[in-house]
Formats: sequence, C-alpha cells, structure tokens
Amino acid sequence: MSMVAELILNADSEARYLGPKEIHIFQDFLKTGEQRMRIARFLAENEQKIVQNGTNKFWERCPVTPSNSGVERKTNSCMRDQGWYVRLIAYSVMAGSEKPLEEIGTIGIKEMYNSLEIPIRNIAECMQCLKEEAVSMMNEEDAAEVAPYFDFIIQSLS
Amino acid sequence: MQDLITSTINTFDVRAQYPDSDAMNRLEEYFRSGDLRAKASLAISANAKSIITKAVAKSLMYTDITAPGGNMYTCRRYAACIRDLEYFLRYATYAMLAGDPSILEERVLNGLRETYNSLGVPIGGTMRAVQAMKEVTADLVGTDAGKEMGVYFDYICSGLS
Repeated sequence: MSMVAELILNADSEARYLGPKEIHIFQDFLKTGEQRMRIARFLAENEQKIVQNGTNKFWERCPVTPSNSGVERKTNSCMRDQGWYVRLIAYSVMAGSEKPLEEIGTIGIKEMYNSLEIPIRNIAECMQCLKEEAVSMMNEEDAAEVAPYFDFIIQSLS
Repeated sequence: MQDLITSTINTFDVRAQYPDSDAMNRLEEYFRSGDLRAKASLAISANAKSIITKAVAKSLMYTDITAPGGNMYTCRRYAACIRDLEYFLRYATYAMLAGDPSILEERVLNGLRETYNSLGVPIGGTMRAVQAMKEVTADLVGTDAGKEMGVYFDYICSGLS
C-alpha cells in the first residue's frame, strides 16, 4: 500500500472526504515523485552492477557461505535474490512506503531462508554490502531515501 | 484498494520486472498532476451537497421517477437515492486522487447492480444521474480535472450497465 491509499482508506473509514491536512500530505507526497522516480530508474539501470559489487564485498567479508561454495546454482540464486531485493526497494521508493517491500519480500523472510538452510546472519551481511554499494553510487539526498529500505530488510532478518 | 503506484507495482512484480517506460511516464504524469487532483478534491468536498442537488435537478427531479409510483417517490426512497449519489461522488473523488478505479470496484460496484435490480432501482435513471454529476462536477472543477473525474463517473456507469 502506498501513502495515497493509506490517506484514502483512513478518510473512507470515517465516510468523509480528505481534509485539508490530508490533502497537503497528498500534494507534498506527489511533489517528491520526481525524485523518487529518478531513484527507481537509477536502481533499475544499475541493479546488475550493485549486485555484482555487493556480492564481491559480501564474499570478502563472509567467504564461507553457500553462494561462494563453488555451486553455480547457489551463486545464481543468491545474486537473483539480491537483484529482486533491489527491485523491491525501487518499488518502495516509488510508493514512498516500506509496504511493498514488506508485503512482497520481508514477511516470512527468516522462515524462508531458514528452510533453505541459508544462514540468516549471512543474508543480513549480504544486504548490508548491497546497501553500501548502492549508497556509494548515489548522491547524499538520494542515498538517504534509499538506505532506510535496506535497513528495513536487515532489521527484518534480526 | 490500489492506487496508480501500487497497481503499477503489482503488475510488474508478477513479471519480476521494473515498470516499463510507458508505466514510468504514466506515473510521472500522475505525480505532476498532484496539485490539480488536490484542488479538485477540495472543491468537490466543499460543494458535494450542491453537486448532488444540481445533478438531481438535471436528471431525475422532473421525471416520472419522483412521481407517485416512481422509485424515488416517498421521502425515504428519495433520501436513499441522494445518499447513494453522495457515495458515488465521494468514491469517484477517492479514485481520482488515487489515479485508479479499484476502490470503486471494491467498495461501490461489487454487487451493486444485483442489489439495485432486487430493489427495483432503475439502472437507466441511476446512470443518467451519474452522467449529470459528471457534467456538474466538470463545471465546478474545470476542464482538466473534470475530464479526470469523468473517467471514474464513466467507470461507475459501465459497472452498472
């Protein structure tokens, strides 16, 4: 759910139109749309690079991990998942809310990786590396918009 | 409910893709139209009662529907009709803000035609009233916002027909 949907559902629960304050929030949110779309585009264009660099950093810090065990399938799955998380973060930046990330990618994340027998601490480290790589490629303002979503994934793994 | 942002995300997530350039352009246009949508919502909420009054005067008031035997005859039925039109206007305004009709589908149209048929509410008259609301609203909010609101009034009509 995005901020717009939240405002509407909140007003609807009281069977009223959006009030002046809510309309202000709506307007301000849409005004930041341009920046958020720019960030989403950037993530889309640079996903592969972020994932490649993030993986290298991850393996330096955490050499003993399934994706670095020489099994190509495991390496590919790990990098595919990282790419997916970058994409989900792009969605969340677009929506201005952690909801898309949460609904698609963090509810059940621990159970899933546990069942796949992938160490949760390694996943968290991997996400940290991904964050560092993504942030290092962006200006300060855009980085500040993106970083909390990586932190959100990391927190959901703790 | 969905808005343009979440419906775009959901469409592309099932394909594991980023939104394509068409979708990105639509979103950018939506973000640029924030002030237009905000102003329209404020104008409609401030004038909701008079929009309904004018729309009813234009479409239903002087027809057989309000005469004895008509479906709007008796104050109770008249009031129920007004209440429904108020719902349509409010939900169309929500949908306009969201840039997406899903809230109309979920909270207004789902089962509405069947309900109206079982209550003997004429669909044709309802659609005339919604079209009249569309015209009255466009007069109030101006051409651009009126066109956007029109999308959702038309959506209600097509959902009823």
